[in-house]
Amino acid sequence: MATTATPGSRTIFRRPASHTGFWSWITTADHKKIGIMYGYTAFTFFILGGLEALLIRIQLAQPDSAFLSASEYNAMFTMHGTTMIFLFVMPVSAAFFNYLLPLMIGARDVAFPRMNAVSFWIFVFGGVFLYTSFLFGTTGPPAGGNLAEAASRLGSGPNGGWFGYAPNSGIRFSTGTVMDYWSIGLQILGLSSLISSINFIVTIFNMRAKGMKLLRMPVFVWMTTVVAFLLLFSLPIIAVALFMITFDRSFGTLFFDPSMGGDPILWQHFFWLFGHPEVYILILPAMGIVSEVLPTFSRKPLFGYPAVVFAGAAIGFMGFGVWAHHMFSSGVTPITQAAFGLSTMAIAIPTGIKIFNWIGTIWGGKVKLNTPMLFSLGFVGMFVIGGLSGVTHSIVPADWQQTDTYYIVAHFHYVLFGGAIFGLFSGLYYWFPKLTGRMYSEALGKVHFWVFFIGFNLTFGPMHWLGLNGMVRRTWVYAEETGLGPWNMAVTVGAFIIALGVLIFMINWSWSKRNGPIAPFDPWDARTLEWTMPSPTPEYNFAVNPVVTSLDDFWHKKYTEDSDGRPVRRPEAAALVAELEEVGLNPPAPIHLPNPSYYPFMVGLGMPMIGYGVIYRGAAWGIPLGIVGALIIIGSFIGWGVEPLEEPHEEHSDHADEPEPGDDHGEDA
Amino acid sequence: MAEEHALAHPTPRQYVQIAVLLAILTAIEVALYYLEQSIDAFTTSIAAPLLILLAVMKFVIVVGWFMHLRYEKSLLSKFFTTGFVAAMVLYVAVLFALGAVVLL
Amino acid sequence: MADVAHTDGHHDVHESTGIDNRKLGMWVFLSSEFMFFGALISNYMLFKGRDYSAFVPAGQSVILPRELYDIPFTSVSSFVLLMSSLTMVLAHDALASGDQNRTRVWLAATGLLGSVFIGGQVFEFTEFVQQGMTLSTNPAASAFFVLTGFHGAHVFLGILMLLSLYGISKRQGGLTESQGLNVELVGLYWHFVDIIWIVIFTIVYLIP
Ligand SMILES: [Cu+2]
Repeated sequence: MATTATPGSRTIFRRPASHTGFWSWITTADHKKIGIMYGYTAFTFFILGGLEALLIRIQLAQPDSAFLSASEYNAMFTMHGTTMIFLFVMPVSAAFFNYLLPLMIGARDVAFPRMNAVSFWIFVFGGVFLYTSFLFGTTGPPAGGNLAEAASRLGSGPNGGWFGYAPNSGIRFSTGTVMDYWSIGLQILGLSSLISSINFIVTIFNMRAKGMKLLRMPVFVWMTTVVAFLLLFSLPIIAVALFMITFDRSFGTLFFDPSMGGDPILWQHFFWLFGHPEVYILILPAMGIVSEVLPTFSRKPLFGYPAVVFAGAAIGFMGFGVWAHHMFSSGVTPITQAAFGLSTMAIAIPTGIKIFNWIGTIWGGKVKLNTPMLFSLGFVGMFVIGGLSGVTHSIVPADWQQTDTYYIVAHFHYVLFGGAIFGLFSGLYYWFPKLTGRMYSEALGKVHFWVFFIGFNLTFGPMHWLGLNGMVRRTWVYAEETGLGPWNMAVTVGAFIIALGVLIFMINWSWSKRNGPIAPFDPWDARTLEWTMPSPTPEYNFAVNPVVTSLDDFWHKKYTEDSDGRPVRRPEAAALVAELEEVGLNPPAPIHLPNPSYYPFMVGLGMPMIGYGVIYRGAAWGIPLGIVGALIIIGSFIGWGVEPLEEPHEEHSDHADEPEPGDDHGEDA
Repeated sequence: MAEEHALAHPTPRQYVQIAVLLAILTAIEVALYYLEQSIDAFTTSIAAPLLILLAVMKFVIVVGWFMHLRYEKSLLSKFFTTGFVAAMVLYVAVLFALGAVVLL
Repeated sequence: MADVAHTDGHHDVHESTGIDNRKLGMWVFLSSEFMFFGALISNYMLFKGRDYSAFVPAGQSVILPRELYDIPFTSVSSFVLLMSSLTMVLAHDALASGDQNRTRVWLAATGLLGSVFIGGQVFEFTEFVQQGMTLSTNPAASAFFVLTGFHGAHVFLGILMLLSLYGISKRQGGLTESQGLNVELVGLYWHFVDIIWIVIFTIVYLIP
């Protein structure tokens, strides 16, 4: 404890002490609480993004509809994409990482608990900042075309698409402030993800339990690792690009203004250099979840664990080499087209390996079709369709036909909804008992799956032929004579069926959380370390630091194999589980935990203040507000610097376990 | 951890010597710049590789000795090199795709 | 930001790699900074070679950053930043040998040299603006200012961290072991900012 005995640890605030109630959530540094907050916040944004999608679909249900104005439509499709990507799928994945990563590798917390809280609060304030565009944003005088009407509040969201293509997003064509909200908001959100990626990398490399070698880590942890590296190396690129657009808009630089010698194609390169790895950032967490769910419900080990891990790493690596396939119609050279067409075909190989391994896992297993398993199977099926339509884009001339049509929309929704979101819901059901200590309603869960499955395919299936028939993206009306009306109506009906599915999920979740039957200790007869703990997980996670001797350690402690290789439950398994439960609830020695802190919240609070300062630098209060925001952040970090992580003079400051000498300090990178 | 101290860190005196070396390298860089400016035969295409070589030397010295990377576990070098190489490869590819002349 | 001093050292659990969490985190962060500065540098490389004569009013000439460089001046400020790496490493060394006073002296010296560098950059920018090159002159000028400006912002952040360490040490009469690691971390950050300048000095200033 020598290192925390700080002289003069008095700080500006009294340290928060309580472990329950409102303030305990604001000040927590517990990865599980942060994970839960990530989850609920992300789900709130999921509802918002979903409502935006429904408005889009009402508008497009009929030809020549006047339900939304053009500017409202622009704001809706921009914010639908931005919300679902940056405010739902990424943070809900972060929720899983936060909650599960330490549990799966046998750690008491992440490497930097308070930095973890910083990530979360920056995310919350960044998301809220982005959405305040609807309250305060202006679209400016119309630049001509069809935008001749004054924008309503609904039309005052960012409106340049989630990709924010220059020069449309530049000051010349977007004279109002809404794209400032977008560029600065994403900058803040990116900072949050960058911090958490560093945190997760250090956690994975440094905090593993004894014996948890890298190739004994669950596949979900491996996919977290790959995602963290993708974030680490791709976020700085978008940070620079967003700084450039912000400077173009606010401080008169000319990077993307072709009328002054700037280069809009540079934006596209930087954006997609980030944007394609981003696609894998969205899908890999779901792949990790599915790789945990399929073996558990097939009662077989994951088929070809090293291949799945290696394929995941290969996807991450190759994901940086395919970005220009988003730009085939942007006038890139033939060499670039050929090179990126080939690399795009090549990246299908590791993805295909994973699909085969998942099928191999189910093959011959004793499959139990519980809700998580249904969603995982749905993931595999839908992702195959989305992956195959994706490969068609690598054929450059075909891509020219498909670009900017609903075919593309169909493709990436099969990957990101049929893939990522099905996988994430699979995880939500799978770990629900761990999170709450109760079981969800299996019947409602299955209804949710089938409603989702039907609604999803009705929504996004017809988009393939709508697109190939010439229905263009990002356009708020289409003419009656195109004949696209009937299928569009079907798509809209499908979208509302999806909304019904979400409603069923919410009812199931909120009811079961309080009233569901008490979940057994290890309800799925699972394989990974988080199931060796009581549910809900106690604050200290592991009562005794675990020691791991093999991949799927928990499973091997419960099961052995007969002569045909079939799993046979060991007679002592029940006693083992009972003992784990007993020990888990009664730690033999006191355990000290990171203390809560106000500073992470303060750091988050400072971020949007700087953002408003930049946007409203012309107003008398603008620059002062920004400076105050910066001072809050700097002051918080200084206060933090003198505040020890664990309170030195607390009663229970003994170590439960001293680090043992001679642990495997191998640099098994 | 005995293996970490197998290589002794430099003494303050050695740090000063390293800094002098860095200063000399910088002086050579500036001298090369002026040679390139004043002598016609000494073209940019000759000077530039030399300048880059000198910059690489300074880079390696600062990273290796001042940042102690040569005394650290190899995992840190792996992270650091990955970032550096990834940045080089990706941005050269971007500049190539944009039709810009790379470096020279 | 992740690079600001903090004390999240978690001594409860052993570190699988044998490297302190904070130190590993700093190196991971620095590896991602290559992507950040790489983007800014390649941005400058792209725009410096382009022809902007079509975009200036007839009769005016294009002002490019390289025509305004004051190499002797920049050489001196590069030298100053290089020497600040020396004082930084001496601060770390002094702390390792337990000399708190000498640590503070070298921390202050590093901050001072950094401030001289920033002062030089402010002077250079003012000079360029007076000679007619601003953020809005052409994309090459924009890229120059944004690249060197973000580098300067990193130096500025480093100075803030040095000042905080100095202040904490002064107030407490020395740095604890855990805070001492922060000296090493700030040092890593500081040297990294220095190597980025080594690259910028060569490929932005010296190679025309
Ligand atoms: Cu892509």
